[in-house]
Amino acid sequence: MRRRITARVAPYAALAPVLCLLFVFLYLPLVADFDYSLHDWSSLSPTWRAAGLANFRGLLRDTLFWQSLRGNVLYAVVSLLFQVCFALVLAAVLESRMIGRRTSTCLRVAYFIPSILPITVIGLLWQVMYQPDVGLIDQAMNALGLGNFAHAWLGEPQTALPAIIAVSQWQWTGYLTVLFIVAIRAIPREIYEAAEIDGAGAWHRFRHVTVPGVRETTVLMALITIFGAMKVFDIVWVMTGGGPNNASQVLGSYMYRTAFRDDRVGYASAIAVVIFVLCAIIGGLQLHWSRRREAA
Amino acid sequence: MRRRDFTKGMLAAMGAGLAVAEGYAPARAQGKVTLSFLHKWPEPQNIVFFRNAVDAFQTAHPNVTINMDAVADDPYKEKIRVAMASGEIPDIYFTWVGEYTRQFIRAGRVLDITRYLSAPAWQGRFAPATLDAYKTDGKIYGVPIEVDAKFMIYNKALFAKAGIDGTPAEWPAFAAALNKLKAAHITPISFGAQLAWATVHYIGDLNAKLVPSDVRLADYTLRAPPDKLFTDPGYVKSLALYRDFLTNGWFNRSPDAYTHAAARASFFAGRAGMMYQELVEFGQINGTRLARDGWDFFPMPAIPGGRGPQDLLTGAPDGFVVSPTCKYPGVAIAFLDFLTSPKQGFEFTRITGRPSAVLGAVDAQNAAPQTLRGMDTINKTKGLVLWLDTDVESRIASAFLAGGQGLMDGSDTPSGVMAKVRTTALQVQKGRG
Repeated sequence: MRRRITARVAPYAALAPVLCLLFVFLYLPLVADFDYSLHDWSSLSPTWRAAGLANFRGLLRDTLFWQSLRGNVLYAVVSLLFQVCFALVLAAVLESRMIGRRTSTCLRVAYFIPSILPITVIGLLWQVMYQPDVGLIDQAMNALGLGNFAHAWLGEPQTALPAIIAVSQWQWTGYLTVLFIVAIRAIPREIYEAAEIDGAGAWHRFRHVTVPGVRETTVLMALITIFGAMKVFDIVWVMTGGGPNNASQVLGSYMYRTAFRDDRVGYASAIAVVIFVLCAIIGGLQLHWSRRREAA
Repeated sequence: MRRRDFTKGMLAAMGAGLAVAEGYAPARAQGKVTLSFLHKWPEPQNIVFFRNAVDAFQTAHPNVTINMDAVADDPYKEKIRVAMASGEIPDIYFTWVGEYTRQFIRAGRVLDITRYLSAPAWQGRFAPATLDAYKTDGKIYGVPIEVDAKFMIYNKALFAKAGIDGTPAEWPAFAAALNKLKAAHITPISFGAQLAWATVHYIGDLNAKLVPSDVRLADYTLRAPPDKLFTDPGYVKSLALYRDFLTNGWFNRSPDAYTHAAARASFFAGRAGMMYQELVEFGQINGTRLARDGWDFFPMPAIPGGRGPQDLLTGAPDGFVVSPTCKYPGVAIAFLDFLTSPKQGFEFTRITGRPSAVLGAVDAQNAAPQTLRGMDTINKTKGLVLWLDTDVESRIASAFLAGGQGLMDGSDTPSGVMAKVRTTALQVQKGRG
């Protein structure tokens, strides 16, 4: 009897600490954030003033909010192309017989290393690389006779955000490549051998064996990438602080500035709610699409 | 041992007597006292001073424990807001003067310490302009520890190479010097505006020179009527003059791509003729190429025809305020008294290289001749133009900060920036009712 009770209680007891932590540090702040977003308050407010949906209506009229959202969308699109599509191709190439095993191992390590570096280090490193005249990028361009394409990458509104996005691709594409390699290795070799016997070339093996074989991983990677793009903050804050003239602002940096610089916590909470809702919608749609394909 | 105890007792009694005479409760007369102390100087050379000072105060007041915490400039802004929102307000904490402190005063988060600082021991300790920065509506809310101002530092060797004699006192001579440097293929001014605060040091100074003081102060404090708020044409002229630095080729290329630190490194390496720098940065010149080339400084030149006072300096004191929730305000004031005593003032400059706000604490023994002259200039100035980004409400500051960058990268115009500043100011004013 006691053993049966223990067996029934044990899983919950094991989960309890994690659930408590999740509740205190994730779900409770999440619920609180919805409440905050319905109030007009700052860190110095003696009282909170109920604002209804005024903060959300304010967001609809806020050009900087829409500009920041566009920044996130650009971030997500480029990240999907590089960190998911390109990483999958790269993984397939590294796992193919086109490249020797030793070379493949070296390349995997080389691609993976940026992902283990701290974001601040990467931000500061690339800040120097992007500097006009003395930065490595412009110097390399000048040396290659491409001086006309040299820019003050982080100092010009047209190039600041793309330059930051490029750094993110440099950092994370290798990491996702390694995850795809793991997924590709889980595909039974017999399927590849059968495809080869049937005369399938490298492209057809990739198209009809690899891609379907890593679909679950792809969906997961796409989700993580989009969520990451929606939540991005640190690299933007380190490299440009959202500047120049807000040109590289994304929702995360705009929310942070609104909360901690402009001291409009209610408004910043509304931005946080929007980020959450966007992530939830995108995640839901993607999972729904994935399940439909599985069912089909 | 007994003698030491006796001596300690005597010192305690003397200290208590002095404290009572100075108008605040003696730290010794109370039981165990714990104070929290938050500031923004965690850098190794700076924290040494504060650790020494806290240790010395605790040794002199064994019943007092000071829990010190320090975070750097930028994270401090977040940390103090989180502390305010949580209600865990440090007993003694740092604030920037101007609107930054005024917002805490309005919210009742700063103790009025006028009665403490009226005591004789405090009189004549700080230059009037320095202490005035901590006054609001005639009341004193803070104690300055250091004083800072912006000066145009120049490289003597590069000035000589460009054929510039003397230092410019007025704008036409300044423009001529900049053009001579440019003609000699020397970057006239090293400037890094990637962190936008650097832009408003120029804009704030130019605003003060081109906008009448009463108009500017009414705008900055949002006391101007809505139809007049930030409408003075001097603001647009100020921004246009600031933009001229770039369009005339007086700044290095793409200032928005460089941090202030990177621009400073370039200037210290002898790659530019001038840089607009703070007095607290003077100490970093030692051992650089600039030190070998020779350097000096001058205030931002006067603008003939400018409708604001031309003899103000852009700068501000840095210091501390006391929380009204502090259970032992007398002890907190005793600690600030200790921290800004002439001896600690001297130590502050000796250890950190930063200019103490205490009059007479900076001398030839602890500071370079240029720092001494800088201090002298500050002490004699008629007033300080506070940092623009802490002197106006944060959203208005954000509009100036982003606009300053926009002027540098060509994505905005002076009138466009002022339109945004005015719109934001009107919103903030309306919000305050």
